[in-house]
Amino acid sequence: MTRKLQRTVRLPDPRVVFALAFVLSSFAVVIRGNLWLMIGLMAVSLLCAVCIGVDFRQMWRRLRRLLQLLLIVSILRSVFAPSGTILLELWGVQILTVGGIQIGALVLLRLGLFITSGAMFTCYSVRVLIQGMVQIKMPYELAYMVSVGVRFIPQLAEELKDSLTALQLRGVVIEELKLKKKLSLYTYLILPVIVSSMQNAKELAMSMEMRAFRAERNRTSFYALSLKPSDIVMLCGILAFTILMGVILIVGVDIF
Amino acid sequence: MDERFTLELRDISFSYPARERRQNFSLAVKHFVPSGQCTAIMGENGSGKTTLGKLAAGLLRPDAGCVLYDGEDIAGWKLGQIGRQVGYLFQEPSRQLFTPRPLEELSFAQKLRGVPQDEAEDKATELLRQFELEHIKDNTTYTLSRGEKQRLAIAAAMVAQPRFFVLDEPTTGLDKRRRGILAETLHSLMSKNVGILLISHDCAFVDEMQADIRIMDGGGLVDA
Repeated sequence: MTRKLQRTVRLPDPRVVFALAFVLSSFAVVIRGNLWLMIGLMAVSLLCAVCIGVDFRQMWRRLRRLLQLLLIVSILRSVFAPSGTILLELWGVQILTVGGIQIGALVLLRLGLFITSGAMFTCYSVRVLIQGMVQIKMPYELAYMVSVGVRFIPQLAEELKDSLTALQLRGVVIEELKLKKKLSLYTYLILPVIVSSMQNAKELAMSMEMRAFRAERNRTSFYALSLKPSDIVMLCGILAFTILMGVILIVGVDIF
Repeated sequence: MDERFTLELRDISFSYPARERRQNFSLAVKHFVPSGQCTAIMGENGSGKTTLGKLAAGLLRPDAGCVLYDGEDIAGWKLGQIGRQVGYLFQEPSRQLFTPRPLEELSFAQKLRGVPQDEAEDKATELLRQFELEHIKDNTTYTLSRGEKQRLAIAAAMVAQPRFFVLDEPTTGLDKRRRGILAETLHSLMSKNVGILLISHDCAFVDEMQADIRIMDGGGLVDA
């Protein structure tokens, strides 16, 4: 058993995390206009992520640029949806309003919730996640496809970086290009990465076929997951939380 | 080509960031100036040949020390500026091919740099002829054989007319006749004062290039 696999034995069953991530991200989509409820949901999500053992420092390193982008999107959203008390106005244009800030914050929290939900899976080995998917009756091929997709993400990022480097080494100074040429440059970058991904996928498929993937209809697993009493308690907790949130949303109970 | 280009690596040390796979590797080179028109770096796998080549081409930035082109430190240079002086051929040619057609591959970077279309295509056609790729000029780039991709990548590196080339395993996938053609092309470039840093395991090709050989081991030049 790999170290990560051994560590995951002490973690909640991945099916518990599937349920948790599903509930959190579903409510992130459903909640509209209630900032305090969204903050509460985010707090629950962060608490769960901490308990599961998400490495936030590593997450920050990996997603720093994306988070900066999300912050910019939220600020833009806030600027373009002004409402309520005006906090800053320039040349008759409402730049900052209380309502705009609330909308921007909602967008940021919603995206943050998706990221936190996804981050919980990083604590598990791919093998355990696939096993979890298979044991919730997802077809093995589909579960395996998801895991392969995840594995290819860093490779794609590396290829994109290499392609950008190679392109610049042809004497193209990107900063000097006009917008139209810059846009055409990005099409040159994306195309080889897509082709390379398809070629990688084809080679992987061939290699899997050569190792008799799907030769037998039913697969057996040496490593099988079983729900511990603590997992069942957590599942019950998630169910109770879902009902509570559902009641708040449907009945409109203003607890905040 | 006018004056001879000088490349110099001074007091270089480099190690890969912790997140990368080769975190146990470190390179230290006190002083390296490719002597003669063609210098070959040879050594075992993992000895640091490619890392040295990438440092020389400005693809990697040293932790300490400096890389000088014609006596000027390139620390603040953009990759595009470096590419106008030094051409680099990657070990894996697919990573430096961008377009669906070979003819476009050799002309698009010129067009981006503002070269008129006719001029860019003439130059591209000439390079395709030189590397015996004319017959596949309208084929799909991605389905070419490894050898064809390698030749196309070398031709593409030559488009910007750099004054120095770093070629990482340029003979991989080339048959004997095409290795000969490559050697001829490189000799013709050398006659125009273009310098070459050749990273290779191919002793016969290194001999053919009459290169000055330097040996790398454990991240350093052993003959320094």
